Amino acid sequence: MYLRLAFKNIFRNKTRSLITLAAIAFGCISLIIAGGFMENIFYQIRESYIRSFFGHIEVNKTGFFEKGVAKPFDYMISGPGDVIKKIYSAEHVKTVTPRLEFSGLLSTGETTISFLGQGVDPKTEKEISTAVGIDAGADLAPEDTYRITVGRGLSSAIGAKVGDPLIAVANTKGGAINALDVTVKGVFFTASKAFDDRAVRLPIATAQKLLHTGDVQTLVVLLDKTENTDMVIKNLRDLFKKDGLDLEIKPWYEMADFYTKTVDLYRRQFLVLKLIIAVVVVLSVFNTMNMSVLERVGEIGTVMALGTKKSGVVALFIIEGFILGVIGGVAGLAGGYLLASLISYIGIPMPPPPGATMTWTARVDIVPGLFVYAFVLAIITAIVSSFYPAFKASRLEIAEALRHNI
Amino acid sequence: MNIVYVEKVSKEYQLGATVVKALKGVDLAVEGGEFMAIVGPSGSGKSTLLNLIGCIEKPTAGIVKVDGVDVVNLSSNELAVIRAGKLGFIFQTFNLLPVLTVAENVEYPLHLKPVGSKEKKERVDSVLKEVGLERFSAHKPAELSGGQRQRVAIARALVGSPSIILADEPTANLDHKTGTGILELMRGINKKFGTTFIFSTHDQKIVTMADRVVELRDGERAGD
Repeated sequence: MYLRLAFKNIFRNKTRSLITLAAIAFGCISLIIAGGFMENIFYQIRESYIRSFFGHIEVNKTGFFEKGVAKPFDYMISGPGDVIKKIYSAEHVKTVTPRLEFSGLLSTGETTISFLGQGVDPKTEKEISTAVGIDAGADLAPEDTYRITVGRGLSSAIGAKVGDPLIAVANTKGGAINALDVTVKGVFFTASKAFDDRAVRLPIATAQKLLHTGDVQTLVVLLDKTENTDMVIKNLRDLFKKDGLDLEIKPWYEMADFYTKTVDLYRRQFLVLKLIIAVVVVLSVFNTMNMSVLERVGEIGTVMALGTKKSGVVALFIIEGFILGVIGGVAGLAGGYLLASLISYIGIPMPPPPGATMTWTARVDIVPGLFVYAFVLAIITAIVSSFYPAFKASRLEIAEALRHNI
Repeated sequence: MNIVYVEKVSKEYQLGATVVKALKGVDLAVEGGEFMAIVGPSGSGKSTLLNLIGCIEKPTAGIVKVDGVDVVNLSSNELAVIRAGKLGFIFQTFNLLPVLTVAENVEYPLHLKPVGSKEKKERVDSVLKEVGLERFSAHKPAELSGGQRQRVAIARALVGSPSIILADEPTANLDHKTGTGILELMRGINKKFGTTFIFSTHDQKIVTMADRVVELRDGERAGD
């Protein structure tokens, strides 16, 4: 009976109830859209970092991450073929590619500029670096030897175009200086402007020739899904330990500092948004319930005179809040889903993120957890905001309340 | 045994700095099955006395027993149980819940008791038939006349088979003919089911229908 009475009471003042339901639904929609938009930004930044730089996992000689910057040649992986095979034997591994990074000088003959060299296997690298774009010319191919691609910023700084001959100079593993004549095959760009301003990519065999080494520095691993990163890391660690390999493993999130800090910052901002939305819903439902108590003093007196206990009166108003929360929540979820789908269909043109050069299109992800959260928040806030009016109604003096019927 | 026993009952209200004495040491004993009127001018204490008997208010002093239970020191929950179990109420302004249908309004008191859904329906149908409103069970109160609304209120008071039905000025908002009809209906129920009726009124023509008349004046008994 309480449920029926509560349901009917909600719709006795349709306009007011609709406004309250709209406020609850608006709260849910805001959470779904803001949260879904944010998750999409996180996803795109994350995938762009993974598919431009880090892969999901990097495997290096133990100690490389701590001391490798100062002495890179002391932390090289010799005979990477066996290690690559071992990594491939782990589940969820899609691609493994070797990299050899070094610094050197790049010269047109007239202009010389320092660069960060990245020796890559053009075949397997292509599968990982899907977020690396080509501005001009073409990307490296397996048959290339003395051809390189240069970052957008570096190309412009040195004034090198596709087809231009350049000289790459670097220190060899033994400490001598070596130089190679190379040709610009293409100009690339990534999610990081800082990287594009300094980077050169060349076939790993050419880099090894330049540095007089047969070793590689890093094995970059791409998985089938980013979510499997921790599981694969655990498996690889077990595998390396079992075979006595002196290798260390880093997940993408430990390397993508910008990403983790951005996510942390935005999540805190989102927390504030959640709080604001909760307050809006609470105030809205509170207002409705409070008005409802004021309007129904006589009725409350009547039901209490008929034998309804105070707890029954409280239950009646709490149920009304609950129903408002459920209806508003369901409407909000439906509205949020439709709006998120529409926005995703159209797409939101976004400027390059800080430190990047690429514009991109954001969408609103449908995040099931966010839907559950919004729905639960709608119900809880609606119930919580009914408490005081319900309590107030239950405290009415019956005789005094009955006088309101006259 | 007296179904209602009131002894030296006083009721005072604090209105700002003033203490208003609504009842001053009233005694009253009501036998089961009586059809009793409480009369008196406005402010004489009729409604207050009914509220005390109806466990809606507590006296400032004195004893109130309903169906043998001393109700003065009971908690609000215990009083609610007494109201739901032993009492039925008819109000001057009908006090129907506007969002519920006639049948739902009548059914309401049964939800406060352990009654099965089949029995609820049977009882609602039966009392609606008793008050001649079986055809209006799906109507909302707003679709009914004043007399019909009061009949619904009578059905609601009757549905829980209470020992006592208290009616505070049940005809005050009705024309004389309709009011007489309502009193006749109450009288019929009283005779048929033996339910005790205590009603207040200041309509002298209606008073003549009561078995017994108790008069209040300035919060005191003026005579039977």
